[in-house]
Amino acid sequence: MSDTEKILSIKDLTVHYLPPEEPACKAVNGVSFDIRKGETLGLVGETGAGKTTIALSILRLVQSPPGKILSGSIEFNGENLLEASEAHMRKIRGSEISMIFQDPMTALNPIDSVGDQIAEVVHLHSKCSRAEARIKVEEMLELVGIDKSRYKDYPHQFSGGMKQRVIIAMALACSPELLIADEPTTALDVTIQAQVLDMMNDLKKKLGSSVLLITHDLGIVAEMCDKVVVMYAGQVVEMGDKRSIFKHTSHPYTKGLFGSLPGAFPDSDRLKPIKGLMPDPAALPAGCKFADRCEFCTEQCRAREIGLTEVSEGHYVRCVLAEGGNHH
Amino acid sequence: MGRYILKRLLMMIPVLLSVVLLIFILQFITPGDPAKLQLGTDATNEEIENWHEKYGLNDPFAVQFTRYVWGIVSRGDFGNSWRNGQPITQEIISRWPTTFLLAILTTLVSVISGTLLGIYAALHRGSLGDAIARVIGILGISLPNFWFALMMILLFAVRLQWLPVSGFYGPLYWILPAGTLGVLGASSQMRITRSAMLDNINADFVRTARAKGQEERVITYHHILRNALIPILTNVGSRFAQNLTGTMILEQIFAIPGIGTLMVLAINKRDYPQLRASVILVAATVSVVNLLIDIAYAAADPRVKATFKSSSGNFLKFKKRAG
Repeated sequence: MSDTEKILSIKDLTVHYLPPEEPACKAVNGVSFDIRKGETLGLVGETGAGKTTIALSILRLVQSPPGKILSGSIEFNGENLLEASEAHMRKIRGSEISMIFQDPMTALNPIDSVGDQIAEVVHLHSKCSRAEARIKVEEMLELVGIDKSRYKDYPHQFSGGMKQRVIIAMALACSPELLIADEPTTALDVTIQAQVLDMMNDLKKKLGSSVLLITHDLGIVAEMCDKVVVMYAGQVVEMGDKRSIFKHTSHPYTKGLFGSLPGAFPDSDRLKPIKGLMPDPAALPAGCKFADRCEFCTEQCRAREIGLTEVSEGHYVRCVLAEGGNHH
Repeated sequence: MGRYILKRLLMMIPVLLSVVLLIFILQFITPGDPAKLQLGTDATNEEIENWHEKYGLNDPFAVQFTRYVWGIVSRGDFGNSWRNGQPITQEIISRWPTTFLLAILTTLVSVISGTLLGIYAALHRGSLGDAIARVIGILGISLPNFWFALMMILLFAVRLQWLPVSGFYGPLYWILPAGTLGVLGASSQMRITRSAMLDNINADFVRTARAKGQEERVITYHHILRNALIPILTNVGSRFAQNLTGTMILEQIFAIPGIGTLMVLAINKRDYPQLRASVILVAATVSVVNLLIDIAYAAADPRVKATFKSSSGNFLKFKKRAG
């Protein structure tokens, strides 16, 4: 596929948090991936893998200090966002790229009515009268399944799932080209999760947006995504089409993720959790970051930094075993 | 909301009654005979006895107390001054506006300067400006206000001669007293604002607002400051109460004819009715200001408003629906 279809292209992004008088926290280390138009990309990894930092970097909202984008580029429609002016970024945020945050309980301003909070983004990005904005907001509320008579209600009058709908309405109000959803269902009940995901899928089709879906739930990835990027300790360890990742899982970490998923292997009745913990991002080991927890670990793994190997078309793996071509 | 205000106004009655009772008891058990002070040292026993009889001091405590409260409730009469025999209500009404104006001005100075300084310090946390603001904050609580007032007089009235030394005849005379007490009061306002802003500055909804593309100015004043308003408003209330009593000392220093000078005079002369009336007035004002602050909470935060509605209106609504 040609470059013009790429809506977002992240190259070699490195983001560290540099708190004074403490060792640097290496959150994101040389991450590259692309999102094409209309595509949903799942960014998978456990807590602390650097997923949210990548999302915030795209919007240039990494808190600074202590956060600092050290190198790389984030091209959105061919423009490097890391070099854009703050004023230009404000125009992009909320209109061309918008974000759904993880925790709906705290992401809404408690003193503004939900209607006004959606209207805020409408007013910022389109020149329209109060009445027009109100109509637009009411449309959005109905779209996410909230009665428009609740325009003047406040966040404390809504349940968690309803608040997340408000946040989704807010994120989609200006029909963004790219929607970043940071664990949009983590804080919700399982029954509500399915509803919210279905709704996101519908809206995405309706508006034709691309989606960067951050999650640690492979079930959600299976349902929603076209492409998958698996992250570990701030690095991409495996990425490719959903089919090839699910069928030909190559990296021991990705295998471990599937092994810890109930129902992934119906023939075994025991879960196989990954032993140990992710390394401290302030003290990353040399070589493969997953080596300490990996059952296939060899001396080679710790000797040098491992690069990404293309094991089949568009399917990349960062593992010594894949380099030999005899991937599992 | 109306029912809530009514309820709060009714609740002020027991509060004020307790204030009256307390000060009555204190004055009753204070040793010394006020009559001797009023009549002079060469008064005969008979004269003193007559004086006691005239002001009802020979009656039992309960009778004196009931008569006093009844006088206020039925006729708005706070009695006559023991010092000069004049009706107290008039004197207080004539002096009250001065003290009230001074307290309002002082509160305005501390609230405006303290809030702005607090916002600045919170936004520039860790900078030199923040450090200076915090030093000002500590100075404000540690400097005695009478000393600070004298220094200000020395500087602006005596040395530079920009402002009058004392009196209360127009806006030019307001600047030094209101400025002095106001600047000292600004320190607590500054600290409260700074910490309330910092509580909200990294809130998720602030990040949401940034992700919408909102400008920093709107984020600061609308999203952060408005969510920090509850502790700030609380402090405005206590600042006003402190300023109302704080003017007692400043009125002496600046020779301002307000309630403060009257109270000091009343204490020196054991003019109990006069003192009682002043204390009741101050207590009533503070109660009303606290009520206004509580109403302001409801305007600032819809969650508070919801609790007002549920605590006062539910039963009525229920009755309407049932009927």
